Amino acid sequence: MTSVASSPAPATAEGSNPVARDNRGSWIPNGAMIRTRIMELRKRRGLMAAMIVVNVGVPTIFLLVRIIAHIVAPKSYGPAGGYDIFSNLVVGIMYFFGFIVAATLGCTAGSVDLTDGMFRHLVITGRSRLALYLARIPAGLALIVPLVAAGFTVVCAVCVFAAPTKIDYQGVPVPHGLSATGFNHWAESHPKEVLCGLPYNGPIGVQVPCYVNGQGKVIIPRGTPGFGHISPTTLKAEALSVAEQNYTAYSKLFLYPSVPLMIRTGLWIELEATIGFIVGLGLASLMGQRTVPVVLMIVLEVILTPVFSRTAIPHLINAQRGLVGLAMAHLEPSALPRGIGGGGGGGPGGPSLVPESLTVGICVIVAWLVGWTALGAWRMLKRDA
Amino acid sequence: MSTHTIDDTSPSKVSESEWAVETHGLTKRFGDNVAVNDVELLVPRGCAFGYLGPNGAGKTTLIRVLLGLTRADAGTMSLLGISVPRHRDRALARVGAIVDEPRFHGHLSGRQNLEILAAARERDARGRIDSSLERVGMAQRANDRVSKYSMGMRQRLGVAACLLGDPQLLVLDEPMNGLDPAGMHEMRDMILSLVAEGRTVMLSSHLLDEVQRTCDAVAIVDSGKVIRQGPITELLAGAAMEVHVDCSSPDRALSILAATAFGEKIDVETTGLSIHLPSGTGKDAIAEINRLLVEEGIAVYRLEEMQVSLESWFLQVTSRLGENV
Repeated sequence: MTSVASSPAPATAEGSNPVARDNRGSWIPNGAMIRTRIMELRKRRGLMAAMIVVNVGVPTIFLLVRIIAHIVAPKSYGPAGGYDIFSNLVVGIMYFFGFIVAATLGCTAGSVDLTDGMFRHLVITGRSRLALYLARIPAGLALIVPLVAAGFTVVCAVCVFAAPTKIDYQGVPVPHGLSATGFNHWAESHPKEVLCGLPYNGPIGVQVPCYVNGQGKVIIPRGTPGFGHISPTTLKAEALSVAEQNYTAYSKLFLYPSVPLMIRTGLWIELEATIGFIVGLGLASLMGQRTVPVVLMIVLEVILTPVFSRTAIPHLINAQRGLVGLAMAHLEPSALPRGIGGGGGGGPGGPSLVPESLTVGICVIVAWLVGWTALGAWRMLKRDA
Repeated sequence: MSTHTIDDTSPSKVSESEWAVETHGLTKRFGDNVAVNDVELLVPRGCAFGYLGPNGAGKTTLIRVLLGLTRADAGTMSLLGISVPRHRDRALARVGAIVDEPRFHGHLSGRQNLEILAAARERDARGRIDSSLERVGMAQRANDRVSKYSMGMRQRLGVAACLLGDPQLLVLDEPMNGLDPAGMHEMRDMILSLVAEGRTVMLSSHLLDEVQRTCDAVAIVDSGKVIRQGPITELLAGAAMEVHVDCSSPDRALSILAATAFGEKIDVETTGLSIHLPSGTGKDAIAEINRLLVEEGIAVYRLEEMQVSLESWFLQVTSRLGENV
């Protein structure tokens, strides 16, 4: 081999050691890396528009339409807010679609450096690959968490300030916050509404064919005797029997969500969005692309989680308990109804979930967060740039 | 060739190394294919160094291994006297590189892309963004989206990214790709100015003419192995020589020289002869040719030793005559 005579060493920055100042080999990302990563994601207009529309736009427009409709025709359209609207919006839209949008953001954050060809430039800086990966986590969460919070704040505000003044219980308007005694007194003073509108399981002495319409009025079909032949004392006694059977269900209804419920619900949907982002990030880093991981995340949320959360397969039940959506369903505030995805475990009336203790549920969630982060980071470290 | 200790522990050791790039027995395999085969490479500091080879010779793979973009299967290497990959963070702190086609986030501007890269470097790097853009002639378009850039503009942005770290070593893989003649001229001037500042530029290119104009030394790689390396002048001095003779009677001159040691390969032209002499032939041979012809009564109007181009030499040593390199 022929050797080449070398020139004197260059004078430029010789002897200076920038690594000593910036701790380049550290696995901890610096603030500038996180800030520029936020900028990179924020400048993706299509993705950001989708995130804003789903997390803020859809609930806002939905509530706005309800407010306008109620103002224009209050008899036809009920109040815009209230507990029912809150629970349906949170479980039906924010939880479910928030997860998918967060997962899409995670998949984007996890793959764009590779697909855009920037990963190579970043590796050549000498910065720790682990730090490059970890910088994406706070950056992504800095976008998704405030957006979810903003949308949720809109929903909470409207649902509290535009709540109805009476509870709509089985179509019957009932005053809010009655005690058992108060509920009984109200039933005695509104026996026709109670007997025609409220469900009752057992023999009843009053046999009048009637019902309560959408505006809370008692309707008795023509040609029927009605309540005229029944003494007030009998009516009150029968209404009291029906009321006693309905108080438990009534007591679980609210005009608007309570502050503790809103806080718990907010944290719950933020956790769901965080899981969607972290898992999407790890999966996309592992696969080195965005499209397939996004599809897989949607399949997880739309198909796998609902099916395996509600159908216990004896031989696979422990594997089913490893599903993060099931764990999230068990963490759902009990006052909310069950949703389309994994969420909605505590509400009344829905199909039962595969049983799982709270401790196991928390462990499953932590394992998913740590596991997918580790997988994504491992691939980042080993991947050819 | 002197040997150097690759392992390093102190910054002072960095300045002691006379080699910007040093590899020993470097090998990289992809299955059965040996892309980099036991490469011994020494790139001196403070020069422009060309790394040449035919397509598929393993040029880019070697650069990728050096920069830690992929792992070597065997061998040792160092950048600026610091062993990699063991201390890659320290070594790469003063290295800038373009590997393959420079690609960036298309939805961001050139400046924003540089901000991302500067954030991964030391704090001072952010302050070099403007000067880097200015230096590569991209200051006017710095705020345009990269998706609107031409290939040549992305090349320039790639060089600007290299300059963010105030590098002592720049590794440029095909930096002339996509540049128009004026752009190539500017790039050549920029490389020379970087070298004049004391930096080392390692240049991988197919454009042999550009390399000859730009570089002080080259290494030729073929089938994964470095087959020649050294200063261009020294390498070409050892190449086969061609002497052009303008004379009164080319046919008679041919018959005279054909009977001598110079007669192995002679082309007859209308005004004279082109005599191909084997490598290692001294300049005395030219005087001897002149003497033989004059003694036989042939008028010699001009004797010229033709300069061997890097391209023709490259084709000789790589045995790739006729192939597209």
